[in-house]
Amino acid sequence: MLWSNNDQNDNKRAETKKTDKLYSIAVLLEELKSEDLHIRLCSIQKISVIALAVGHVRTRTELIPFLSEITDEEDEITLVLAEELGKFVDFVGGNEYSHTILPPLTKLARAEETVVREKSVESIKIISKAMDKNQIQTYLFPVIKDLANGKWFSSRSSACGLFSICYKSVDKSSKEELLLLFRELCNDKTPMVRREAAKELAELAPIVEEENLKKIIIPLLIQLSEDEQDSVRILTIDNCISVSKLINKDEFITYIIPTLQNCAADRSWRVRHLVANKFYQVSESVDPEIVKENLLEIFIDLLSDNEEEVRVSGTARISDFSKQIKEYQETISDVIFPIIEQLSQDSSKKVKVSLASVITLMAPIIGNQMSIEKLIPICLDLLQQDISEVKLSIISKLESLSKVVSEEILINTLLPVLIDLIKDPKWRVRCAVVDYIPKLGIQLGVDFFNEKIIELYITWLQDAIFKIRETAAKNLIQLTKEFGSDWCTYNLLPHIFKLLKNPNYKIKQIAMYSLSLLAPELEIDIISDKMIPKLTVLQNNKTPNVKLYLAKCLHELIPYTEETNIQEEIIPCLTDLLNDDDQDVSTFAKIALDEIN
Amino acid sequence: MSSFGAIDKILEKLENCLVPTEKEIQFVCLKARQIFLKEGNTIFLKAPITICGDVHGQFWDLKELFEIGGKPPGTSYLFMGDFVDRGYYSIETFLLLLTLKVRYPDKITLIRGNHESRQITQVYGFYDECMKKFGNSSVWRYCTELFDYLSLSAIVENKIFCVHGGLSPKIDTLNQIRLIDRKTEVPHEGPMCDLLWSDPDEKTASWELNPRGAGFFFGKTVVEEFQKVNNLELIARAHQLCQDGFQYSFDKKLVTVWSAPNYFYRCANSASVMKVDSELNHSFKVFDAAPQEKRNVKLRRTTSMYFL
Repeated sequence: MLWSNNDQNDNKRAETKKTDKLYSIAVLLEELKSEDLHIRLCSIQKISVIALAVGHVRTRTELIPFLSEITDEEDEITLVLAEELGKFVDFVGGNEYSHTILPPLTKLARAEETVVREKSVESIKIISKAMDKNQIQTYLFPVIKDLANGKWFSSRSSACGLFSICYKSVDKSSKEELLLLFRELCNDKTPMVRREAAKELAELAPIVEEENLKKIIIPLLIQLSEDEQDSVRILTIDNCISVSKLINKDEFITYIIPTLQNCAADRSWRVRHLVANKFYQVSESVDPEIVKENLLEIFIDLLSDNEEEVRVSGTARISDFSKQIKEYQETISDVIFPIIEQLSQDSSKKVKVSLASVITLMAPIIGNQMSIEKLIPICLDLLQQDISEVKLSIISKLESLSKVVSEEILINTLLPVLIDLIKDPKWRVRCAVVDYIPKLGIQLGVDFFNEKIIELYITWLQDAIFKIRETAAKNLIQLTKEFGSDWCTYNLLPHIFKLLKNPNYKIKQIAMYSLSLLAPELEIDIISDKMIPKLTVLQNNKTPNVKLYLAKCLHELIPYTEETNIQEEIIPCLTDLLNDDDQDVSTFAKIALDEIN
Repeated sequence: MSSFGAIDKILEKLENCLVPTEKEIQFVCLKARQIFLKEGNTIFLKAPITICGDVHGQFWDLKELFEIGGKPPGTSYLFMGDFVDRGYYSIETFLLLLTLKVRYPDKITLIRGNHESRQITQVYGFYDECMKKFGNSSVWRYCTELFDYLSLSAIVENKIFCVHGGLSPKIDTLNQIRLIDRKTEVPHEGPMCDLLWSDPDEKTASWELNPRGAGFFFGKTVVEEFQKVNNLELIARAHQLCQDGFQYSFDKKLVTVWSAPNYFYRCANSASVMKVDSELNHSFKVFDAAPQEKRNVKLRRTTSMYFL
């Protein structure tokens, strides 16, 4: 054997020099025995290379056993090894041999270090996909039994993760054994094992037979939901989500509802926090009627929880939950909206920010009328509370609301508030408004935009903050696409040309930037005859920052300009800029000229 | 020109707050040194330009500054020193400014602050950051060697004199600054030290000892004389924290510009930059620290909720 003991290595090395492959393996194997951790780590990462080189048979008969030996190693090594072994199915010769990888992985699954254990279990799951029923029954099943009966909590924890991949493929008596084992693990004396078992329950539930689901799984779910450790109880909600999909209405009411009621009132806020976050997923699996009759009140309680984080978490799910009772509009109006109002006055800023992130998403669920009566007043109130994250959240999601309500409301109610927010001291809020207004403008139509918004928009192109100017410029593309190139030519370009003459160099810059963005949407003769002449005059500007923008702008416009204009106007201009004293002006001009040639 | 490809790659890393490799940093420092060698002790600048004060390794706030003022080369900048120490990202901050300097030498100017020094950076964080991020002191050495080449002052359109700290009793005229041999570690005393350490003081008549232990306090008469002799309109400097981002002194003859908002992540101050237009009118853009979502949370690790 190539790697049996050190003494033989020198002889072997002489032999193996004959073939490159074997030589490199010997080097790798030497490295595996090195004192230096880093070297060992590098070589273990290349273990697939060795496997590929020695071939299927030797991988199975020699490499795998060898790797089983080195499992008492540093955690960094074993972690990489656990991961690499998961890829070994091909190297051992395909699915029929996949079980041969189990021994070293099983050993690693007993490791003290959590990440190594978890990685091993992951890899076992991967290779088990390649196993047929026979292999699972013959090789995997004993492994699980062995681990589950292990002396240390570490092996029992790992066992938990393997039940669901094994169950379907074993015979009836083995299934019974597995369920008995699982029950034992759920009753394990160490909470770490019970926690892993609780995790696995959600995976196991869809796989077991209906009878076993009711006889064994659901009772275990309820038992674990009452565990003394909150780290175990916290997994209840996921288990409920999984089981809810598998049982009928009556069973749900009998078993799951009480469990949900309990964990929504759990003494640990972390449990309640997660329940609030995931509660809507339970409601997705049952009829809206049950949601309304049984689940709604639990959710409302969570939204009134004492603990701030629980309220934040629940609030973020209001729209997701409300979707489930969409058909009960009255309930939403009478039960959910009062709570929303309450939350909008919550003492905690975090709660309000959370509310702001979802409130507009209620609009499509409740429709125009309720939006006007109930939703908009709350939105307006939130906007006036002067919390900038709240304002930002609402403004950036206004589209959901504006698509639902009537134009009249948009114009008379929303728009004035937005215009007001344009003066907000926080520039990000102003920027969000500038970003949203084009969408609103498109909804309200070109005439309205021309009449009421365009003048304002042009002032935003001149804002003191660069990012706001840039945002306004970028959104011109969308407006032009919607309203058409004619609209742009006759309504927008005159304003932008005026900005080109503004004494402030930054305004000139943003005007040039806007023109370069709009060019693809415009007619070629407009660009050639109208735009280019107005730009080229800037070549005499004193400020180099302006001239380099000019060079860049002309560069962008070249594909959209007529050849004659390129030759007669653009090239002379760029040539002039090429000879400018300023290095950057010259560079940008050169890039543009190079493109033409 | 051909090396712009490499520079652009490094620039992209830095824009995303990624630390360049040691080799890349060495490369940028070398290129920057060649540029600094050509610059005099006082750099002559043209308007329009945006003048900034201390940034102290607050990378995300520097990004915020660029969002507000625009980036080079579209906007020209002068940074008046103190790029490193105190913030968590001295390396990324300084290297971003340096790489921008290499890329657009005429559009961004860096002058030396009192923290651009071997001694100070060993106490206030830059050295420790280099050790933490690289495991050795090479990067610190490259940077501190480069600091020696930074100019000491700048002047915009011959009218606005810019320096990190303030004035020196040994310097009456701008010409005298030329005589300084600046390519050295910041001395403990003398004109070069004063330029980087002095502070204005309304209660001082002319000169007084500075409680910092370096540089001087200087008063109104000194400022008026200096401006008269050198035909200046304004002195712009940094070096001192301003709660509102900027602070005038001596009947607006001098202004302190401070560009590190929520300094040291605890002072809750605003920051500002001073925009100077082609007519030499100046105005201030005040800004606050970048919000939490914009700040990279590279440092966050997934910690499990429980000890289990």
